[in-house]
Formats: sequence, structure tokens, C-alpha cells
Amino acid sequence: MNAIFTKINWFALAGGATTIAVIAVSLVYPWWQLTVGDDLLTVNASPVNMNMGFLDTSFTIPFIWALNIVSILTLLASGIAMLIYSVIPRKSYSKHLLGFGYKKPLFTVLFFVIGLVVTTVICQAVLSLNVPLMGSTTSTLPIPFVSGVTLTVLLSAGFQWSFWLAVVAAGLCLAARLYHRKVATVPSATTAT
Amino acid sequence: MDKVRLLLTLITIAIVVIPIVGMLLAYQNNLLGLFIPPEINEIADNLSGGGTNGSGLEPPTMVGEPQYDEATRTFSASFQYKNTFPIDITIKSLSGNIKCDEHHFPLGNASLSKPVSIDAGETATLTVLGTWTEEAISHFRTCTQEKELVDVVLVDFAVDISGIQIQMDQSQMEQRMQVPNPAP
Repeated sequence: MNAIFTKINWFALAGGATTIAVIAVSLVYPWWQLTVGDDLLTVNASPVNMNMGFLDTSFTIPFIWALNIVSILTLLASGIAMLIYSVIPRKSYSKHLLGFGYKKPLFTVLFFVIGLVVTTVICQAVLSLNVPLMGSTTSTLPIPFVSGVTLTVLLSAGFQWSFWLAVVAAGLCLAARLYHRKVATVPSATTAT
Repeated sequence: MDKVRLLLTLITIAIVVIPIVGMLLAYQNNLLGLFIPPEINEIADNLSGGGTNGSGLEPPTMVGEPQYDEATRTFSASFQYKNTFPIDITIKSLSGNIKCDEHHFPLGNASLSKPVSIDAGETATLTVLGTWTEEAISHFRTCTQEKELVDVVLVDFAVDISGIQIQMDQSQMEQRMQVPNPAP
């Protein structure tokens, strides 16, 4: 019984399961949310599901929807690979499964954060619109060709709990990679028997 | 082992390529639609008043006679405002400075008595409270003493609609009204 436990990479098992859970959760709860005014405009962002809402109208950009599908399939493949690897970490092809699976949640989180930072910097540089990553701020919107009118909006943004779940999944997958050396090493006593 | 590696590489490529190529093929006759969904155009049309329901931004119209309370130097005036936007709005605050229309003398300030929610296409009454300064009372006594009603203008207009604050200077917005002369 103890031998079975030592043969399993528990970090990979938890990481794979959490990665699949992240997909399911992110379909409903965004990783990052931006609200303009009193819920006049909301931007729900996550690599899995990105949409915008203007009061009762919710819409998504088709190209971003395609990228969401890419992210869903990538995370799903990663999760499945991690789950398969976790129970057979000593097979000859296990390291390939681990290599395929462990980086994807980490890169998804990193690219998402980098994408958000770049988008806010572009908004600031091009539109002079100060979009916060976290917290609230009032920002003055530029109105082209109209002088004498100032439009100021309250922008509130923040990372949601689903983002932190994705960070945990990425951390577990990274831990699985580090733990691999320990679990993949066949104990000398087992070899002797 | 190499077969597993090859399979994983093929899966990676397929995961990235198939959705993007599929979407490009679906929108090959309308590449702009790939980045701008039709809902955005509808919202822009409705907001600019060009939609099926909208008729553009309408200025508020004054209704009834303004009331004046001598003890507090406060007057109240009611305006009717039609929400021509296709969305429900809440006017949370409204403020401005009042000037004498004839002499451009600053008389005081005005603000909305309480927040007003207006459903799309509906009309609601906004009550604006204005307070005269001591200098304004002196101005009324010296310059407009013979008049029952005085022409004033609301300038430096600022309004908060559902969290969006709009400020207009005199070149964009001047709401003229007649108020009772506090020193007839």
C-alpha cells in the first residue's frame, strides 16, 4: 500500500485536478473584472472566457473567443496529461507528459497578467485612459472634436478568486515538476527485491 | 517514447491552429466582424440617438413656478427630463453655478435635491435647489429690484449619471430659467 503512495506524484494529481477545475470555474467566474460607472460597462476577462457587458447586453469578440477555445483546450490537455503522469511517473514517457503538462497553467497565468498590463499601458498611452489593474480610480475620457465637455468615469477593477485558483494550479504543477526527481527515482530496496 | 513526444507536439499544434483557422474561415467574408461584434454597433447607434428608440439628447424643460424660502435664501425649481437613452439611468447628482443673465453676476449655486432614477424612454421630474449668497441678495436689491421674476443662467454644469460624471463649461451648456426675485 505504501509503495502505491510513493509511486504517485501527488502534486501532479492535485495540479491536474485543479487545472481542470480552473477551466470549469473560469467559464462562470472571470479572473479579472473591470466595472465602469455603476455597472454601466463590465469587462470580464479570463483566458477561458472573455466577455463584455453593457447593462443587459453581453457580447464577446469572435477572435478573442477563438483564443479562449485555444486556452480551454490547452488547459484541458495539460490537466489530463498531469493526471495521467501523476499515476505513472516512472514510465519511460512520463517525463514527456510532465513536460507537456506542467508549463501550460503557469504560462497561461503569466501571459494573462502580461496581457492585462500591456493593455492598460496601451490604454494609458493611446487613449490617455487610466485603467487600474486593482482598485478604483476616476479617469477622464477623451471626447474627440468636442471642447468644453469633460467626461469622468469611475473605474473599478480587481482579480477574482478564480485567478488565485489558477495561480494555485500553476504552483502545484510547478511543484510536481520539482517533486518528479524524488518520485521518479526507483528506491534501491525495491530494485533489490 | 518518440511517438508520445510526436503525439504531444501534434496535439499542441492542433489545439492552437484549429480554433483560429476555423474562426478565420467562418469570418472570411467579414474579417472586420472578427474583431467588432454587431452588438457594439447597435450600442453605439442607440447611445448616439440613431437607434430605433432613441431621439437624441433632450435638454430638461422647466415646469411650474420656482418657489423661494426667504429664511434659508433657497429656491427650488422643477424640471422634466426625458431619458432618451435605451438604458435605465440614475441621476445621482447635479450641480452648477447661477449667474445673473443680464449682469453675469455670480449669485450662488444649485444642486439636485435627491437622486432620481429614470427608466429608458420615461420622463421624470428633477427638483433643483439653489441658494443665493449675501452678495446675490444685495445684487437683487440694487439691480433688479423692480422685477418679480429674474432671469438667471445655470453655468459650469456638472452631472453624475450612473457613475459617469459629465462637466460642461459655459460654451456647451447654459440652462436659462426665471426665478422669483428675493428682493422685489
